[in-house]
Amino acid sequence: MERYTLIVTEKPDAAQRIAEALDLRGKPKKVEEKKVPYFMANRDQPLVVVPALGHLYTVVHERGGRNYYPVFNFRWAPRHLAEKGAKQIRTWIEVFSRLATNATGFIDACDYDIEGSLIGYSILKYACENKDGVAKRMKYSTLTKAELEKAYEEPLPKLDFALIEAGKTRHEVDWLYGVNISRALTIAANRWSGKYATLSTGRVQGPTLKFLVARERAIHTFVPTPYWSLLTQVEIQGKTYEVEYEKKVIEKKTEADTVTEACKGKTGKIEKIEEKKFQLSPPIPFDLGALQSEAYGLFGYTPRRTGDIAERLYLEALISYPRTSSQKLPPAINYKAILNGLSRNRDYSPLTFELLQMKELKPREGAKEDPAHPAVYPTGNLPERVLDESERRIWDLVVRRFMAVFGDAALKQSMKATINIDGHHFYLRGRRILKEGWMRFYKPYVRSEEVTLPPIREGETVQLKQMTREDKFTKPPPRYNPSSLLKRMEEESIGTKATRADIIETLYNRKYITEERIVVTDLGFDIIEVLRRSAPNVISVKLTRQLEQRMDKIQNNSDKRENVLSEAVNQLKPVLEELKQSESAIGEALSNAIKRARMQERIVGNCPSCGTGKLMILYSRRTKKRFIGCTNFFKNACKTSFPLPQRGTVKPMGRPCKGCGWPMIFVRLKGRRPWMLCFNPGCPAKEERRKRLEMQAVQQRNQK
Amino acid sequence: MKCKLCSRETRSESKYCELHDKAYANVVGKFEAWKKASGASWEEYLNELVKNPFTGVWAKEVAEHLLKKE
Repeated sequence: MERYTLIVTEKPDAAQRIAEALDLRGKPKKVEEKKVPYFMANRDQPLVVVPALGHLYTVVHERGGRNYYPVFNFRWAPRHLAEKGAKQIRTWIEVFSRLATNATGFIDACDYDIEGSLIGYSILKYACENKDGVAKRMKYSTLTKAELEKAYEEPLPKLDFALIEAGKTRHEVDWLYGVNISRALTIAANRWSGKYATLSTGRVQGPTLKFLVARERAIHTFVPTPYWSLLTQVEIQGKTYEVEYEKKVIEKKTEADTVTEACKGKTGKIEKIEEKKFQLSPPIPFDLGALQSEAYGLFGYTPRRTGDIAERLYLEALISYPRTSSQKLPPAINYKAILNGLSRNRDYSPLTFELLQMKELKPREGAKEDPAHPAVYPTGNLPERVLDESERRIWDLVVRRFMAVFGDAALKQSMKATINIDGHHFYLRGRRILKEGWMRFYKPYVRSEEVTLPPIREGETVQLKQMTREDKFTKPPPRYNPSSLLKRMEEESIGTKATRADIIETLYNRKYITEERIVVTDLGFDIIEVLRRSAPNVISVKLTRQLEQRMDKIQNNSDKRENVLSEAVNQLKPVLEELKQSESAIGEALSNAIKRARMQERIVGNCPSCGTGKLMILYSRRTKKRFIGCTNFFKNACKTSFPLPQRGTVKPMGRPCKGCGWPMIFVRLKGRRPWMLCFNPGCPAKEERRKRLEMQAVQQRNQK
Repeated sequence: MKCKLCSRETRSESKYCELHDKAYANVVGKFEAWKKASGASWEEYLNELVKNPFTGVWAKEVAEHLLKKE
C-alpha cells in the first residue's frame, strides 16, 4: 500500500465530512475493515481518515476487582477492558494500529476541546505507538469545506498538550472520586443487607444533588403566610381595564377590607400620566448553556436533548461547534458570507437582505470567552436533507439569534396612569413597542406582550366597576427543572459545559430524582444525608469549585497534573477512612432507603375502593403469581385486588386512564411492542373497544 | 431516640428529627405573622396549615401532630 497521512477523527460522521472536504474530487473512497469504516482521500498526498467512537481509552484500576476500597492506583487502558458493552472497541483499536504502521504523517482532527484532544492523543499515543509527539493538529469550529481545508493547510505544528493534560487530570480525578465513594456506599449497603444494589456518586454529582436536596427541604418545611391583594377594575370610555392597587401585598386582612369599603361606589380621577421610553439591547450570541436554557423555555427540550440535537447539526455542518462557553463572534467567521448563505432560504432572505444593507455588521457580545471556539452560530449552509421538527427548531433558533445580535436596539414605551379613588392610588399600566429593532430578526422567539391604553388625559374621571379582595399565600420556592439546575451548576462553576447535562441525566437514571419539575426521592435524600454526616467534603460546592479551578489552571500551564492528583488523593483518604468506620450505620441507612425506593416503584396509585390505601404490585407467596392489591389488605381493611399479566415486566405508568381515571400500568414483553394497560375491569374505554371490535367483526362477516 | 413523626433519629433534646425540627421551628416562627395578619388563634392557625396546599409535607405533619396534642 502507498504511503499516506493518517487523520484521526472523533466520530464516523465527522470522518466522512472531513474526508469529503479534503478529497480533491469530493468523493473519498469508503473502506470497511472488520466493520470499522474509514475513508481514503487524495489531496497533495494520499490521506486516510479514520474515525474513533468517542473515547477508545479510559482510566482503569491497576489491580482489578470491585469489592474493596480505597483504590488510588490507575492506568489508561482500552475501554473494552473496563466496560462490558464495549467489545467493538478492540477491533477499532486494531484497525488504528494496522493503519498507523504504513502512515508517514499523523494529524489529530478531533473536536478542538478537552475531550476531543484527549481522544486524539490517546489513540496516537497508545494505538499508533507514541505518535503523539510527531502528530499535527487541525483546529476548526465548523465542519464546512472552507474551514476544514484551511485547518488542513495550516495545522498547529503539535498537539495542545496543556489541554490534553487538563483532560487527563479531569478523567483521573473523576475516576478517583467516583470509584472510591461509589464503592464505599455500595459495599456498605451490600454488607448490611446482603443484597446488591449499585449506588453511585461523583465529584460533581454529589454537590448537584445537594442543591436539589436543599431546595426539597425548603419546600417540605415551608409554612405559608397569608396576604391580600385587591382585584380592581375601572371603566374608561366605555371599556373595562384592570388596575393595580398601590400596595401589591397587603399584610393585614382588615386593611384590605377597609380599602374595599372606602372605595365602594366611588369614582376616581386620573391624577398623573407618566410615559417612559427605554431601549432594549439585542440578545447576546448563544453559548451552549444559553442555547439549552432558551430551548427548554421555548420548546421544553431537556438540556441533554438540545445538546444532542446541536451536535447533529454541527456534524452536518449547519452550525458551529456547540460545546462552547464563548459569547463572542469574531469577524474572522465572516458574517457577510454566513448571511449570504442563509439568504438562499426564503424565510430568511428578507431579514438577511436588511442586515447586509447595514453600513457595518457589529454583533452584540457577552463577556464570556472560550479559547477554543466562538459562540454558537450558523455556518450559512442549508440542510441537505429534510430536518426533523426538533432539529429544524434548534437550527432556526440558532439562525435567528445570530441575525438578532446584529440588529439595532428595540425602543419600548411604558405608560403609567395614577388613579385616585378616595385617597387610595391605583395604577393603570400599558406598554408598546415603538421600534422593533432586533426583535424583527428574533421572531417568533421574542417574549414581549403589548398592552394598549385608551387615549386618556390627566383630570379625567373614571368609574370604579369592581373591587374584590383576593386571599393569597406566600408560595414555597420553585422546584428546579433540568434547565434551571444546569444554570445553577454554571453559576457555581461546577462541572463543564460538556458534562453538566449528562450529570443531571445520571441523577435521573440512579433514581435519586424524578419528574421534570425535579423531586428528590428518599434514596437521593439518604445519599446526601450519609455523605453530609460522614464525608461532607465530597459534597462541598466550594471544594469542588476549587478543584475545578485548579484543573483549569493546568490548561493554562499554571498548575501541574501531579499536584492536582495528589491533592485529590489527600482529600479522599480521610473521607474514605471515615466511611469505613461508619460502614454499618451507613449500610443500614442506605439499605432502608433502597428498600423504600423499591417499594415506591411498585406503587400504582390510590385505591379506588377504600380511598385510603395504595394499590401496589404484589407477589403471592402461595401461588407465586403477581397481582395488584391494596396496602390496606395487610390491616384487614380492604380486599381489592386485580389480576396482572404473568409474563414480561410491569411498571406503574404514573398517569391515569383517560376512560375511567384509574391508574395505569405499562407492560413490556420480549418480542412485542410495549403497551399500556388499564386494569379496571369496568373501564368504559374497554367496553367501547369491545363493541368496536364486535362491530368490525360483524361488518367483515357481512362483506364476506 | 426515634422522631415522633418518622423513623429518623432525633436530635438531642428534641422529639423530632432534624428535618421535622426545622419544620417545627417554621411552624412556631410563622404564627406571630399569621396572628397579626388575620387574628387567627393557635388552633385555627394549625388547622389552616393542615388544609393549605402550599404548606410543606413535613410542616403539615408537625401541624397535625401538634393538633392531636392540643
